Amino acid sequence: MSDLAIDIRNVVKRYGDHLAVGDLTLAVPRGTVYGLLGPNGAGKTTTIRMLLNIIVPDSGTITLFGASHRAPGITDRIGYLPEERGLYKKMQVRRVLRFLAELKGVSPRVADQRIDEWLERLELRTPERDWGLAKVDELSRGMQQKVQFIGTLLHEPDLVILDEPFSGLDPINAQALKDAIVELKSRGKTVIFSTHLMDNAERLCDSVCIIARGRKVLDGGVAEVRRAHSGRMIALALEGDDASRIAPVIGDRALVRRVDDHNRYYELELADGAEAQEVLRRVVATGAAVQRFELVLPSLHQIFLERVGARGVEEGVTGHG
Amino acid sequence: MGKLVVVFKREYLERVRSKWFIIGTVLGPVFFLLVAVSPRLFGDNEVRSKELAHVDVIDGTGTGLGARVTAALHETYPLSRAPNLRVVRPELVPAEEERSTLRVQHADVLGYLVLDSATVAGESMGYAGRNANASGDVEALRGIVRQQVLAEQLGREGIDASKVAAFSKVRLVAHTQKIGDAGPERGTGIALLLLGWAVALLLYMMIVIYGQTIMRGVMEEKTTRVAEVVVSSVSTDTLLAGKIVGVGLVAITQVMTWIVLTILAMYYGAPLLIGRAGPGLVGSGGGAPSGMPAAAGAGAEALAAGLPVIPLWAMIVLLLCFVLGFIFYASLFAAVGAMVNSQEDVQQAATPVMLLLVSSVIFMGPIIANPEGTLARTMSLLPTSAPILMPLRMALVRVPWYELVGAMLGVLVSCVISIWLSARIYRVGLLMYGKRPTVRELVRWVREAR
Repeated sequence: MSDLAIDIRNVVKRYGDHLAVGDLTLAVPRGTVYGLLGPNGAGKTTTIRMLLNIIVPDSGTITLFGASHRAPGITDRIGYLPEERGLYKKMQVRRVLRFLAELKGVSPRVADQRIDEWLERLELRTPERDWGLAKVDELSRGMQQKVQFIGTLLHEPDLVILDEPFSGLDPINAQALKDAIVELKSRGKTVIFSTHLMDNAERLCDSVCIIARGRKVLDGGVAEVRRAHSGRMIALALEGDDASRIAPVIGDRALVRRVDDHNRYYELELADGAEAQEVLRRVVATGAAVQRFELVLPSLHQIFLERVGARGVEEGVTGHG
Repeated sequence: MGKLVVVFKREYLERVRSKWFIIGTVLGPVFFLLVAVSPRLFGDNEVRSKELAHVDVIDGTGTGLGARVTAALHETYPLSRAPNLRVVRPELVPAEEERSTLRVQHADVLGYLVLDSATVAGESMGYAGRNANASGDVEALRGIVRQQVLAEQLGREGIDASKVAAFSKVRLVAHTQKIGDAGPERGTGIALLLLGWAVALLLYMMIVIYGQTIMRGVMEEKTTRVAEVVVSSVSTDTLLAGKIVGVGLVAITQVMTWIVLTILAMYYGAPLLIGRAGPGLVGSGGGAPSGMPAAAGAGAEALAAGLPVIPLWAMIVLLLCFVLGFIFYASLFAAVGAMVNSQEDVQQAATPVMLLLVSSVIFMGPIIANPEGTLARTMSLLPTSAPILMPLRMALVRVPWYELVGAMLGVLVSCVISIWLSARIYRVGLLMYGKRPTVRELVRWVREAR
């Protein structure tokens, strides 16, 4: 038995002249929360669809739990929440859920039991009203999102794939989703989710993979990745309104490669060959009152900007190509 | 296989449970029954004007033919206002016609008959009036005049007047019998014609209605994005197959229910309706010898005689026609549904498929008129129209077995092609949003799918 939930090797997918995914290799250990990060059009959705055997890669192999991703029954172990969500509008909620569960090989009786549990847990069934008996289009958007989420987990999958799960979610549902991801991990499930929101990923993921324009930029544990990029980031805060004084210093490209200016708080990325001590000396020399000067671990957001830059974010090509 | 059943179950149950399906299934037979008997309810089936005899009879023959015709008209149509006889000298006929034309214009009469020397010679008569385009009316008038010309001639040959009167009342009703290889077949020609027509129309209707149901279903899955989740659990091929089988069985369920309900309605409902319409029916055939169902309307005749017995092999062909025809068109409709993203687009995209379907029914008239002709033969062999028109032809004439087998094989091959094509378009299109693909893009989809 493999200890990898997902093992993708040298996968390539092209649409005509457009390279959607180029030579992607990545491994997701079992029981981890894994973030697939990248701007829109980076190839996240295409990668996920290839995992699910919805589309077929031009070359490369994909292994799930040690077996080919095309092995019969393997998709029954996966729960998938697509970015584009929707349900049969005219169908009764319970019937939609039973249908989704049965498609994954759950017997109707077991499905009914779990549907009851989930409906109660997510407050879709209260003493006043059982929304399970309503038609889908009678539900609010938030409730429909809950139903969709239940549909993803009814068959108790070992691998849960969430494509941009936080997009379009109201804050309450976003919180519920976050809790659910943590709980899934605690039960030994593997969760992989794609997002372009780095803050979410940084807080939730054990490991991440950043892809841009179909290619892997970097991957690894969140802590490792941040450590690997440390020593180059400086947090600088000023007491008074001395912004104009330090402007020549932080504007010196020989010293500082990039500045993230938050007004009175700055995140500086050192230029190649420059020393943090030199920056500190020059800032103090301007007479500005320094409140904080610290070498910090960069956030995923910063690493992302550094490694992908504005280049990767251009072109609004969506993953639905 | 297990997943196919799950998909099929959803497609079937969700549709059969729907309110509109239940309403349509229950009301269907009522509607058919009304169509079948309404000609009887609204007057007799030979579609003649009620005031047929309310005409001017211009007699320029100088023989008394006008008087005979007038009497016969009055006798045949006792409910109509009486005809007006004008006996004039031949040279005054045109002037009389002008007067009558004015009377028709003022709606004083329905029209006028012109009898002259050519009429006496058995060559021609004239009729002008508001109903001159109604072939049923003109035919009825011609029949009466013809009979009276004959009576006139017999009278001249010295045959006794009372015998002439008896002869002139002879009416002939055609009772037809279709003979097949196994000898005479039950049911009259008109009943078979009706049956063939009804079956063809029903096939067409079911394919259109349920083909479009599939198209809308695919579009719904695509536009609501349910497809995104569903295809992560089941292959698009299985999804498509489950859809076609599920919806196809909904159609079969509906037709079966209709047949059962219609038979029940015929036994219990039809006698009531037809019984009430009875007098109007007898009115037009007043002189017929008793015991003959004179001028019985085609619908009533079919009902009275019971449906013609359909041999088992024909039933199998019929079922095959529906199943194959449905699969052929349903898969095309599914492809259309997967191609489009909006209600506006779908009508346009479905046009080619609808044209194929409609092209089969617009030829029903000519094919009924000449079921052995080249057009009938071609259309009943063409895979796109064979499922609808072959049953029609089968009801009318004896179709050679090799044509039957050829047509079914053709449809089968077309089915395979259309499934192959549609499955590929479906696979790519289902998760492709944005604008409707051009033909070139479609070709690319088909080539690159999987």
